[in-house]
Order: sequence, then C-alpha cells, then structure tokens
Amino acid sequence: MSAGTFRRGHLAPLALGALAGALLLAGCERPPPEAVQRGYRGTGMVQVYNPRDFAKSVAANPPPPPALPPAVAEGPRASQAFKNVQVLSDLSVGELARVMLSMTQWVAPQAQQCAYCHNLNDMASDELYTKRVARRMLQMVREVNTSWTSHVAQTGVTCYTCHRGQQVPTQAWFTNPGPHQPGGLHATLAGKNVPLPVNGMSSLAYDPLTELLIKPADVKLTGEQALPAGNRHSLKQTYTTYGLMMYMSGALGVNCTYCHNTHSFKEWASSPPTRVKAWYGIRMVRQLNSNYLLPLHDVLPPERLGPTGDVAKVGCATCHKGVYKPVFGAPMLKDFPELGPPRVVAAPPAPAAKPVARTADAAAGAARDTRGR
Amino acid sequence: MSTEFQNLFTRIQIHGPVYPGVPLPPGSWRAFKGSMKHLFGWIGDTQLGPIYLGFTGVMSLFCGFVAFEIIGLNMFAQVNWDLVQFIRQLPWLALEPPAPGYGLRIPPLQHGGWWLMAGFFLTTSVLLWWLRMYRRAKSLGLSQHTTWAFASAIWLFLVLGLIRPVLMGAWSEAVPFGIFPHLDWTAAFSLRYGNLFYNPFHALSIAFLYGSTLLFAMHAGTVLSTTRYGGDREVEQITDRGTASERMALFWRWTMGFNATIESIHRWAWWFAVLTTLTGGIGILLTGTVVDNWYLWAVKHGVAPAYPHSFPAVTDPAALPGAQP
Amino acid sequence: MSMLSFERRYRVRGGTLVGGDLFDFWIGPFYVGFFGVTTAFCAVTGTLLLIYGAALGPTWNLWQINVAPPDLKYGLGFAPMREGGIWQWVTILATGAFVSWALREVEICRKLGIGIHVPVAFGAAIVAYVTLEVVRPVLMGAWGHGFPYGIYSHLDWVSNVGYQYLHFHYNPAHMIAVSLFFTTTMALGLHSSLILSVSNPPRGEPVRGAEHENTFYRDAVGYSIGALGIHRLGYLISVNAALFSALCIVLSGPFWTKGWPEWWSWWLNIPVWK
Repeated sequence: MSAGTFRRGHLAPLALGALAGALLLAGCERPPPEAVQRGYRGTGMVQVYNPRDFAKSVAANPPPPPALPPAVAEGPRASQAFKNVQVLSDLSVGELARVMLSMTQWVAPQAQQCAYCHNLNDMASDELYTKRVARRMLQMVREVNTSWTSHVAQTGVTCYTCHRGQQVPTQAWFTNPGPHQPGGLHATLAGKNVPLPVNGMSSLAYDPLTELLIKPADVKLTGEQALPAGNRHSLKQTYTTYGLMMYMSGALGVNCTYCHNTHSFKEWASSPPTRVKAWYGIRMVRQLNSNYLLPLHDVLPPERLGPTGDVAKVGCATCHKGVYKPVFGAPMLKDFPELGPPRVVAAPPAPAAKPVARTADAAAGAARDTRGR
Repeated sequence: MSTEFQNLFTRIQIHGPVYPGVPLPPGSWRAFKGSMKHLFGWIGDTQLGPIYLGFTGVMSLFCGFVAFEIIGLNMFAQVNWDLVQFIRQLPWLALEPPAPGYGLRIPPLQHGGWWLMAGFFLTTSVLLWWLRMYRRAKSLGLSQHTTWAFASAIWLFLVLGLIRPVLMGAWSEAVPFGIFPHLDWTAAFSLRYGNLFYNPFHALSIAFLYGSTLLFAMHAGTVLSTTRYGGDREVEQITDRGTASERMALFWRWTMGFNATIESIHRWAWWFAVLTTLTGGIGILLTGTVVDNWYLWAVKHGVAPAYPHSFPAVTDPAALPGAQP
Repeated sequence: MSMLSFERRYRVRGGTLVGGDLFDFWIGPFYVGFFGVTTAFCAVTGTLLLIYGAALGPTWNLWQINVAPPDLKYGLGFAPMREGGIWQWVTILATGAFVSWALREVEICRKLGIGIHVPVAFGAAIVAYVTLEVVRPVLMGAWGHGFPYGIYSHLDWVSNVGYQYLHFHYNPAHMIAVSLFFTTTMALGLHSSLILSVSNPPRGEPVRGAEHENTFYRDAVGYSIGALGIHRLGYLISVNAALFSALCIVLSGPFWTKGWPEWWSWWLNIPVWK
C-alpha cells in the first residue's frame, strides 16, 4: 500500500473522535459551577448549581406583591357582618376585606378579580364553582399553617405560594395513564421506561406520584436489619421510590445529598435535617391531596379535570417550583396572620387549633369540611 | 524513542492468500472462504473468516436471534410500531420481568411471559455457545482455559437472571432487557439492599475488574514495547526464551522488584479476569438472600466509617409518638 | 543475589533523562535513577503524612481511616494541616510520586532499548488521578471537591458525588468507561486463556503455535486479531478505560450540574423526531 492511503485513512479515526467529543459535549454547560457544602468535608455532600440557571430561577420566583397595610383586628366578626362566611369567620370585617383583596392579587390579578369567584350582585352566593373551590383552598391554607409547621415552619403559606398570580397553580399534577399502547399480547411498559420531567428523564417509574403522594405508602424500602428479617419490598417498588426522589429533586432544584448521606439512604443519624422536613412534606402532601383536593372532584367542571378524570393534585413542585424553599424562603404568613390558626372568638364556634396532635387536627379538618359544603 | 518504533498501527500491510486453518477432523467443515480486510489490518490480522458453524453454533445463533427478536419486537410494539419513535426512545425501552406477585410462576405474555421466554432463549444461546467453545478447543487439541473462563462469566449471568431470582422466589428480582432500564436495575439493586459498595464481594469484583484493566495495560504495553525483538510471539518466547522476554522481565524487575514470566503473566491475567465475574456473582447471590442491608452489615462488622456531625442530630420522625406512617 | 541469570549483560550505563550517571545504579533488583530518588521521597513522605493524618483521626481501623480534603470555604488556597492541609500535601506528593515513577519507567525503557508503552499507559492512569484530585477541583473552584483518602470513605465520596447528578449511570462517558473496563477484562480473559491453552496443551498433545491460535478464533467467531493485534487492542481499550473515566468525572460538575438522565434530553429533542 502507499503511504498516501495511510495518511488519508488516518483522518477517519480523528474525525470520529471529534464527532464523538462534540456529541458528548452537546447540551453540556460551562464551568465554573457554584457549590454549597452540606456535609462533613470530603463526603461529597455538595449542592452544585449552574449560576446562570440559578439566576433564571431567582427571576422566575419573585417575592409576593407588597402586602396591603394591616387591617383593624377589632370590631364585629366577618361572620356577623356578612352572610355565608364559613372559613374566615373569625376575622374582623377589615381583615376579611384585606384577605379578599390580597387573594385577587395572588390568584386572579388579570382576570375578573372579585368576579372570578363571586356573583357581584350577591357576594354571599356560592353559585360559582370557583368560590366553592376557593373556600376549600382557604381551609387548606389554614390547615397547613396550623398543623404542618413541621414542614412550613413559621414561613407559612398563602395562596401566593402556589398560585403566583395564576388561577391554576403551575406544577399541579394529574395521574398519568401512560402512553397509548396498541392492543395485543406485547409486553406492557410495567409503569416505567417513559422519559418525563417527573422522573428526571430517566426510565424509572413514570407516575410515582399517584402511588406515593395520595395514600400512605412505603417510600423507604431498605431494611432496618443487616440480615433478611422479613423485608419484602421488591426491586420494582424501588423504581417507584427512586422515581419519586427524582421528582422531589427536580421540584426543589437540589440533588440527592440535600437530604441524604448516600452511604445509607435509610439512616437518619447521618442525614441532614432537611430530610425530616421532606418527610413531613410527603405526609402533608398526602393529607392535602386526600382531604382537600380529591373531594373537589364533584365541584370542578370537566375542563379542570385530568386525562383520567381526576382532580389536579399538589406535589412538592406545586409550591417549591424548582427552588429548595418556595419563593426562596420569603416569609408568607408574617404579613397575613389572618391565614394562620383560627382565632377563638366567633360563633359558630370554630374548632380550637391544636398544632401538636395531628389526629385531632384531621378530625377538625373533617369538621370544617362539613361546614364548608 | 521515535514514533515508528511504538508499533501501534500496521504501516505496511501484506495481503497474501487466505489461510484456511488447521485441518479439521473428517466430517467437519468451515463456512465462507475468508477474505482480506484492509481496515482490520490497521491493528490486527487482515484475514476475516473462514468460520466453523457446527450444530451448537448454529443453534446458539438461532436462539440468540429469537431472544433478540422477542426483546426488540416488544419494544417496537410499546411505541405503537412507530419506527421513528422506536429509534428515539430505544435507550429507555425495555422488556421487563414480571411483577413480584407472580413469584416464580409463568406469567401472562404481556406481564413478563415474553421476558421469561427471551431469558430462556438467551440462556440457551449462551450455554450452547459455551459448549461450542469447549468443542472447538477440543477438536484443535487445545486446553480448555477459554471454556472455563467463559464459564465464570456465565456464572455471573446466571446468578443475575436465574439463580438469585429463584432463591428470592420471584422473577421480578431479575434484570430487565433494556439499555437505561438495566442501569436503573443496578442502581435500584444498590438502593434496595443498602449500598452495594459495602458488599465485600462487590468490592473484590471491582478490584479485579480494575486489576484486569491494569494488568492488560501493563502486559500489552510490555509486549508492544518489545515487538522489535519479537515480543508478540509469546508462545515462542515461552518455549524458547529470547531477548524480548528477557527485557520484559527486567523492565518490571527494575521497576518494582518483581517480575512475572512471559507465561505466568497470562496466569495472573486469567485469574484476575476469571475472579472478576466469579466474585461479582457471589456478591450478587448473597444480596437479599443472605444479607438485606449491606451498609448495616458493614456497620455491624466495624467497616463503615462515621463522620463528624455537620448538622443538629436527626432522628426518625416516624419513630416519634403519634407519627403517621 | 538478586540478579537473574541473564541480567548482568543488560545492566548497562546510560539512558537517564536527568542526573547523568549520578543515580545510575541498582539497589537489589530495583533500578534507582534520579526519579527513583524523587519517587521514594514523595512516596515515603506522603505515606508518613497519611499515617499522621490517621493518628489525628478517631480510629486506627484500616477500613475507617479517613484523610479528607478541606472544606469548600478554603477554595483553591491552602488549608490548615488538620483541616485538609494533610490531604493537600498528600495529593501533591502522590502526584509527584506517580509522575516520578512514570519517568523512572521511561529511563528503564531507554536502558533496555524498548518502547515506552508502559509509562505512557501509566500516564493515562495518572491523568485519571490528577483529573479527580486536581483538574476537577480547580474547575469547580475548591480543593474540597477531591476525594478523601480512605478505603471506605472514598467509596462514600463516589456514592455522594454520583448522586449529586441523581443517577450517574446515565453519564455517557461513564457508560463508555464501564463498557471499556468490561471489554478489557473480557479480552484479557480471552487472550490469557488462548496463550495458556496453546502453551499448556492436554496430555500427549504438542505445544501449538500461531496457526492454532488463529484457527481457534476464526473457527469460533470468524476472526482472529492475531498475536500483535490483541496487544494493540488490549492497550487501546485499557488506556481508554482510564481516559474515559477521567472524562466522565470531569464532565460532572464543571460541565454538567443537573441529573445525568436529563442530559439525554438533547437526544429526545432532536428536531427530526421531536
């Protein structure tokens, strides 16, 4: 062979290498990233951020509009002054007006404002479904601020935490029935192998939320003992738990080490306290979905329902929207004590808030539920 | 030290007549005449073929083809027989083993039956190929080192897909057939069983895997560096030591005080490669059957390190009074 | 005596890269050379520092000893010895020892008149180490991103850094690196088996040569890469296993901050089929 052939042949591997390199770097980012250490040095427990993406996230999560000046808390109660005030009955007239005005800012600033929920000729009327939903949501907000300080602490939540000026919050979720499948004998997808944002574009379970964020279910599958002792959790369940963790990671804009020292995902002693927050968050989301969202099924019009006819449900992302603390930790409840625990004043007697015992609270929630209808 | 002595590529290829191979016993025959491929000649032998087919070989290829088709056509169906989407989603698609509820029973085709069938054909294919390797070595009068090395790899394969699922009592424990899904399986396996890094046989297997790669780099580098003395003609160097193997030996002796011989390096290599899958298979087999949480196992045996606390102490909220599940 | 029967005539002067004849001698079987001296210095000092680091720690349990890098707050500066400074010096000395070792191998190659394939391949391993402990930390802005020195602590680091990117198996360079490790091991098993099977034939059979080696592989798979080719192939794939390992970790963090599964979005979003 001639030397010329050799030289020409030499180009092919080089070109292939360059192509492979270009493919590998396609869609990559550029250094340096920003890193936040979250564990003992050298453990690799570090949050890694692209500063440009982080800036975008900051811009996309602005603090709520300035709060209206505080209202006079004294005077007749809203329930005494107006007809059909069921949830905010313990507020003063001024406070009720302030909350109502704020709600238009939070939920319906562009649209019809008051008319989005109210018949302007009869403000007490419940004829609009939006009003009935809003009432339920107000109950939910007060429940969160009262019973779930284990998750929301003193930051609390308002409508803004989820709504951000939208009538329907972004990142609420529906049950995903999966992609359309042809009939016949072919193997099913087995609930996985569809890349979606919810599973972080992996082939893990594509709807971990329905399984794990409505009813109580085991998220933690790893055994508590070294040797087999009756832990029957399967590998298949692990795909679902891992899928949920992918979702939570995306919802909070954090990686696994935000809540875990991954040398043992199970072990609490080496976990950051954020894992406890998240643990309560999962329970909170389940309770909100079961007690507040699912019961709205008959209230909502069909166009608000999902592909399987289910109501939109909340998940971590509904409040967090890709940020480790919703709205970067802006205090929500501070300016709106009206949305905190009900204040014991008015008739009809509101159930007393007991922030500690959760079972009692669930009962109280159920009681408010009946009144709300 | 100029580049022409490094001998990484063949600069002048010689294309001669095809070598038909060592004569086979009467009644055996080879398929295809064989031909010269310039591309192969860059780093290796230019001759492609002939090949011995034989009963076990043909049956092995057939079974492998059946398994491949079962897997591929099921994936194709999962994207509604849309060829473009098939290519697009291929890395995510899989033929999944049955759900845990089926245990070791034969599930309906849609729910793992196809998986079981593909696994059967793939296993048959691999075992037939093993038999073929045995018979090829025997017919040429060679020893069975390849056969037993291959058996070590098959051991790992069988542990993953057959032996361990049977011991666990459920096909669902086995690996799905799919590109990303089998990677999910490995990750889920480590998560479910408490961190596979704390499985000592996994650690050994990785040590042998890296060790094998290290050994091959060392051995291949040593041989290539002495090709100008005929170092690549290893069997000749084994039976009749030449200056090439003397230099190889001295290189390592002077470097690290110890050297293998041109023959014994292949024994080191063989054991490193064989032990990779042998220990790996043991590690998988023990997981779930004998040990449920490798991290806790490591804690129990004083192996897992503890780190100074960077956070306020955390306890299990589920263990608090009045907690929800 | 530590010399092999044929060794004396190979022990010639010269071939050194630096130092001339000064260190051109052997101690027992070991060649010394200038780089032997620097290797020994770096290795001994580094090991003593590691022992010192272990002594400062809470345990002498071999599995649990941990000499960790500094906190991220020290950035690319020097940290106090007890808070990662030891790790920094060990890293410097280890790099010095590895590079010295490679250069000493080059001197030995020159002395023996053979190619420098082994030190070049070792260079790939050094590249992987330096990428992990120097290049990536520098790109990320702090030495604290390096892995700690400890048998199980470094595995915990691997675990946590993997989960920084949610599912590390989806890292394409990691996929290639793992495939190369597996392929190399398989190729090593096949090559060593072949050599042993022809040089240790069954009782009564003669030792076989290249004809049988080639015929065995052509019969089995239709192609025999040949005695020279298998070493070229093994060299290329083993060296690339190390290089792709280096690539997969340097991409994680400096060039990609999210989950690796998400990286594949570009494939899903190619305009032809989106």
